[in-house]
Amino acid sequence: MPPLSTQKPKIIDILKPYWGFVALLSLCTIAGNALGLFIPKLIARGIDTFARGTLDLDRIALEFLGISLAVLVSTYLQGAFQTYLSERAARDLRGRLADKISRMSYARLEKETPSKLLTNLTSDIEAVKMLASQGVATVVSSVILIIGASALLFSIDWRLALAVLALLPIIAIVLSLVFRRLGPLFKRGQEIIDRLNGIISQSIVGAALVRVVDAQGLELGKFHGENLQARENGMRVLKLFCVVIPTVGIVANMAALVILALGGRFVIAGTLSIGDFIAFNSYVIILIFPIIMLGFVSQIVSRAQTSYARIAEILGLEDEKDDGRDASQLRGDLEVRGLTVSYGEKDALRDVSFSIPAGTRAAIVGPTAAGKTQLLYALIGLIKPRSGQVLYDGKPLESYAKDALHAQAAIVFQDSVMFNLSLRENVAFGRTASAEAVDRAIQTAELADFVASLPQGLDTMVSERGTTLSGGQKQRIMLARALALNPRILFLDDFTARVDAATEARILANLEKNYPGITLVSVTQKVQSAERFDQVILLMEGEVLAQGTHAELAESSPEYAQIVESQKSTHTYE
Amino acid sequence: MNNYSLNEILKEDEAKKAPASAWKKMLPLLRGEKRGLAIAFVAVIANSGLNLAGPLVIGHAIDRYVVKGDYHGVLVSSGLLLAIYLGAFIANYIQMRVMGGVAQRTLWRLRNDLFAKLQELPLAFFAVNKTGDLISRINSDTDRLNQFFSQGLMRFAGNIFLIIGAGLFILFINWQLGVAALLPAVGIFIFTRLISRLVARRNAGSLRAGGLLSAEVQESIANFKVVLAFNRRDYFRSHFAEANQAAFRSAVGAGYVNELFTPVFEFAGNVAQLIVLGVGLYLITQGQFAIGLLVSFVLYVTRFYDPLREMARLWSTFQVALAAWDRVSRILHLSSDLAVIPASEGKKGGRGVIDFERVSFAYPGGREVLRDASFAFERGKTYALVGPTGGGKTTTASLIARLYDPTAGTVYLDGRDIRSYDPAERSKKIGFILQEPFLFSGTVRDNILYGNPGYAGLSEEALKKVLAEAGLGSLLERFKGGLSASVDASGALSLGEKQIIAFVRAVLRKPEILILDEATANIDTVTEKILEDILAKLPPTTTKVVIAHRLNTIASADDIFFVNAGEIREAGSMEHAVDMLLHHKRQS
Repeated sequence: MPPLSTQKPKIIDILKPYWGFVALLSLCTIAGNALGLFIPKLIARGIDTFARGTLDLDRIALEFLGISLAVLVSTYLQGAFQTYLSERAARDLRGRLADKISRMSYARLEKETPSKLLTNLTSDIEAVKMLASQGVATVVSSVILIIGASALLFSIDWRLALAVLALLPIIAIVLSLVFRRLGPLFKRGQEIIDRLNGIISQSIVGAALVRVVDAQGLELGKFHGENLQARENGMRVLKLFCVVIPTVGIVANMAALVILALGGRFVIAGTLSIGDFIAFNSYVIILIFPIIMLGFVSQIVSRAQTSYARIAEILGLEDEKDDGRDASQLRGDLEVRGLTVSYGEKDALRDVSFSIPAGTRAAIVGPTAAGKTQLLYALIGLIKPRSGQVLYDGKPLESYAKDALHAQAAIVFQDSVMFNLSLRENVAFGRTASAEAVDRAIQTAELADFVASLPQGLDTMVSERGTTLSGGQKQRIMLARALALNPRILFLDDFTARVDAATEARILANLEKNYPGITLVSVTQKVQSAERFDQVILLMEGEVLAQGTHAELAESSPEYAQIVESQKSTHTYE
Repeated sequence: MNNYSLNEILKEDEAKKAPASAWKKMLPLLRGEKRGLAIAFVAVIANSGLNLAGPLVIGHAIDRYVVKGDYHGVLVSSGLLLAIYLGAFIANYIQMRVMGGVAQRTLWRLRNDLFAKLQELPLAFFAVNKTGDLISRINSDTDRLNQFFSQGLMRFAGNIFLIIGAGLFILFINWQLGVAALLPAVGIFIFTRLISRLVARRNAGSLRAGGLLSAEVQESIANFKVVLAFNRRDYFRSHFAEANQAAFRSAVGAGYVNELFTPVFEFAGNVAQLIVLGVGLYLITQGQFAIGLLVSFVLYVTRFYDPLREMARLWSTFQVALAAWDRVSRILHLSSDLAVIPASEGKKGGRGVIDFERVSFAYPGGREVLRDASFAFERGKTYALVGPTGGGKTTTASLIARLYDPTAGTVYLDGRDIRSYDPAERSKKIGFILQEPFLFSGTVRDNILYGNPGYAGLSEEALKKVLAEAGLGSLLERFKGGLSASVDASGALSLGEKQIIAFVRAVLRKPEILILDEATANIDTVTEKILEDILAKLPPTTTKVVIAHRLNTIASADDIFFVNAGEIREAGSMEHAVDMLLHHKRQS
């Protein structure tokens, strides 16, 4: 919970924007219930008039059918409004949540965890929806019936009415006690769902590994453990709840008992007429039913309250500060000053500084776990440094409007990220990509032959997570996606690892031809390709160890020389 | 290969499926819960009976005691009433407790079965089904069944009981009037049958849209990095908005038909009263019926239609549960096409440790990746697979690990059809370092010991010793926090770091055949040297299959195979392999 909001989020808030619908819904509920009361009266009138010989059956039938139809219509409208209200509230809340998530930073998203956000958008919303669909009408009709019945009871005999209504606080106490204990249980239940989501999605994304090492049993074990927790939690909720409903029921029924015992005494003592006593008995039935219904709704309300608190927590997060407005055309100068990036205690990058002039090519070389990927993430603003600055054309990263910057500084991630879209949409993922830009990007990434070999060409759908594409194909699609933006600066994260040397050379040549003047920043393992770069930045254990041209570093930096030495015989084939 | 796409199967047999059969299919779910169901049923009947008895006692007390001023009698009646209410309290409690338990256990069992099925199904299943949709089936759809079982089923059963009782009672009192009173119920029956298809379709559509929404969220969040870097926060929003609107529309569409039941059932009940009035009065004029009897008959008719009206409310939960069960059972009905065949059925033969005999393979709906390929690997040797990207190297490796079965031909492992191996036995022999390393959230230790129960119980020191003996110790030093370093909390682990963990994981399993699919592609060359030394120190009987671009890795191979355009050919020397690479037009 953010420190800003001191007030507990109130579940009623989600209904506020729809008070019109709530009013209509209430109206229909009242109309349906009220009209329904006329049916027995009509029957009675029919029988009475028949007995008196003045029966007008046609008229009674007509009135009867009219009222029945009116009940039919208002009951249906109540249901339809209820559906519309709850689905609309759910849709709008999902929309707000998605909008919030879409404005999160990468770090924030990882912190909230994708599996929890999925629960928020599905299971939590579902719980809130239940409230709107089943809670509102029940609460409205219950409250009206209780007030109405109470008024009638008072009008007949205030002593009896008081005795009956004294039962209401007992029910309120029981419900609030249970509410207090149900809340944490529901919260825990939703957290278990978060974890179940995580286990299922990891077992799916890691399905190949699970099968290779035959670890299905292990996955089952994880799932069973969590699922058992879910069952135990469910049982705990059940234990509480299956006391509540009968308790509410028996307390409500006590009203009838009180009337019989106390009212009977009044009648016998002569302070209550027998007619009033009978009337009292029938009205009290009108009172008991809504009380029991409220007991049922209490679970829905409590669950919705818990889920809404979880949602409100996300909605209440402060937006990432993004007040960059600069949308100017980039030349392509990049400078890093004293950049330090930390995860908790440990520094991933320490005091990193370098500068890459526009139109030049720089290679960032370093061993695995040196912090190269983190550096790239910081360069494009995916992660926030603890200190230091990233400057584009001499101006800090933060001063740029994100859309303008990302349209001009593109990145090719090392792990493949494929969307379940057509190949064309995957490449033209950046919004600004024109048809020619896509074409040129595909040519440059050496994908043209591959696309031509597909029966449906660029309209081929990429399967779930690109499972049927080869690693090299995915890498080049990722490259084409970045190039389709026509960027001024291109960041490559270990792009050459999955592409053979000949293809790499052709791609670099294509780049030079098709994207003249582009600034290239390539994280790479291969010093061989670094040879052709204007400068090499050697990164080790989060620090810049040396920078200069390949030749300079080979001379001056023993660490670099060692890497060069280790790669003497590691040229790639072709 | 089987068609594993859950949504396509849906289209195929939607037409021929009647809702009644789905209901029958749901029954086995409650198998083993007969005792609970019986107890709950008795409790629900007792509860209904006691609730009916309450007003009778009150009526009796008024007539016999209140009117006559007998306060002692009133108190006795009150005591009786208290007993009745206590009985109802207990019956209600038992019913809720027992049915809630049944529902929780069923939910638990169903989720376990679903997840177990997911584990049993082959990789091909996950290529055609969306993660988010699967999650939604396992978590949300099962919960809808839970809701129906816990709150609907017994009221359903109890109401059916009351309806039948009341129906027989009114027929017994006067069969003519009874038949007339029950006519609207026939109308309800016809109405329900008529719209059942529409209702089923709408509810199925609504749940499907819910699954797609979950899939959309799952994909967008998993790909958030690209969404951010390409400044497509709007992609997330607009794609989500589309799925959100679709889910809204189909849910509202389902709700509009589900809400039909209550008013229509209620209307039928009202019409029944009118019919009884009309027919009853007619019968009275014919001298066949009495007015007093008619008054109570009208009351009995409401006893018949009131539970029917409650049924209407339950009916829509029932319909949703049916649709949910349909989505769930589609997964449960799939079976793996990678079944283990009995050793006696599997062909014996094959040379060496791995032998491909005229193997062809195509992904579903895709073109052939391997065509009639034959080759054999000998024990203890190192093989390199080279060829252009998309040429079939990873597919070949996947066939060796039996992630798929060939569409034609046979793969032999150690002289036996690979299909005749028990998965545990097979995976013990084969280590496969995948091209895309995958880490589970947890620590480095969790990940290197993943699927390796032999070491699971080791203490930190003992494990370090094991690692040191295998020469793996130094590799993990770079992870700050060592073995207990968390792999998800440390921000972005690079591919190279993941590859190191995947490497350690595979080597620790001591496989007879170790496949490295671009396994060190993102690891720096200095570290790679350490990996090579580790590989060199593996027992001499270990067969290594290497897919790589780096020449040195290939140079140390005993034999090189060239994989391209569906063919696997022995290249003989490295020069020949390089020559082939240069002169064969790439197929990707």
